[in-house]
Amino acid sequence: MQQIQHPRSQKARTAAGRAGLAALLALGAAGCATKPTDPAALAEYNQRNDPLEPTNRVIYRVSKTVDAYTLKPVAQAYVWAVPLPARTGVSNVLSNISSPAVFFNDVFEAKPRRAGDTFMRFLINSTVGVAGVFDVAADWGYPKHSANGGMTLAAWGLPSGPYLFLPLIGPSSPRAATGFAMDVGFSPLTYVPRGYGLITLNWALYGVGIVSTRASVLNDLDQIQKTALDPYATIRSLYRQHTNAEIEAMRNDHRATVPDWYSH
Amino acid sequence: MPKISSLSSARRLPFVLALGLATAVTAPMTPGLISAAHAQSNAGDAAFVQSLAQRMIAVVNGPGSAAEKKAQIQPLLDQDVDVDAIARFCLGRFWRTATPEQQAQYTALFHQVLTNSIDDKLGEYRGVGITVGQATQQDGKTYVATVISRPNQPTANVQWVISHATGQPRIVDVVAEGVSLSLTQRSDYASFLAHNGNDVGRLIAALKRQVSRE
Repeated sequence: MQQIQHPRSQKARTAAGRAGLAALLALGAAGCATKPTDPAALAEYNQRNDPLEPTNRVIYRVSKTVDAYTLKPVAQAYVWAVPLPARTGVSNVLSNISSPAVFFNDVFEAKPRRAGDTFMRFLINSTVGVAGVFDVAADWGYPKHSANGGMTLAAWGLPSGPYLFLPLIGPSSPRAATGFAMDVGFSPLTYVPRGYGLITLNWALYGVGIVSTRASVLNDLDQIQKTALDPYATIRSLYRQHTNAEIEAMRNDHRATVPDWYSH
Repeated sequence: MPKISSLSSARRLPFVLALGLATAVTAPMTPGLISAAHAQSNAGDAAFVQSLAQRMIAVVNGPGSAAEKKAQIQPLLDQDVDVDAIARFCLGRFWRTATPEQQAQYTALFHQVLTNSIDDKLGEYRGVGITVGQATQQDGKTYVATVISRPNQPTANVQWVISHATGQPRIVDVVAEGVSLSLTQRSDYASFLAHNGNDVGRLIAALKRQVSRE
């Protein structure tokens, strides 16, 4: 019985492997968008900055299907079971835990006032804000801002590079993806010693973070799927504009290092 | 090729001279004039946003069914939003290649799409509040900064873009947290057209389907 099955399964495996290889080759061949020759269309193509569009669209479609059966129901259940104030608390805790990474990025962006804001936010919210559940610091004059590795690289003058739609991460670019890896490096939790349950905590936080983030965009993503003629392109445009706005806000933050109360 | 470049450089000289002259003559008097005009239109446009926002909030937070609110919002959209201009912008380069009938059909559909998407959101904005901030000029348009607050939601920075192209102040775009609604819509249509043979007729058909789904 085993002897008969063995060669057959091996054969099946090679066939599957061959099919997979063929699919990969097809993906590679179809992976690049063809450059148009018409000047107006070419200008549009360059503005789109998405030369890997066919491949990106495949990953987008797969991600959407996987999401519909996994993450989306979990996020929906989370929204159904947990009331909004508690969800805001969870999101605040996660954002507080990411403060060290935000701080390092503020520093590398050469934005001392932003770094000061982040430092004070971490201090206030970790204590008065009960381990980060309440964002007290925002009311005390230290508003939240974004900082990540992608923005730091932008501050250093790196262009974003072409649009990428990555599995698990979603809309991205070479710059943002590199920045993402930097952020993992900036996070103190990356360096926790093994064997204290901290690794588990780290993964749990990561999981909760994914669900919390997905829950926060449930309505918006549904709305895009419903109203956009080409949701992929709409998400690409939203991602780009949002990223650029964050970078612009960071660049235009020219607040002096000496706080107001000191100079008065 | 060299012929063209020499021609253009020969032409450029008088042009530069004329430009220099024009600025030399007008420069002493323009700064004051321009800034005074800007200040006036800035203040006027900020007041325009304030008044429109108040009227919209009165409808959104007021009593009445969803259908009644829809009916109350419609005149505000017709009067204070330059929907035709937004529609033209969103079609991009395809506006010029579209036939007059297609342009008319598309514009009518665009009105419906915009109205539907605003009506859909009316319910979500219950209890909304708005603070009008500074107005700035950019590319001949006024950007009025506002902060929108909703109960149990983080505040959102929203800019209202005002144009005077029709002779009166009208909204031509809304930029929410750095995201321009018209630019997003334009890239949606551009991508749809790129994948549908640049055929405006197919875009119109898709918009018809979208409107009938509502």
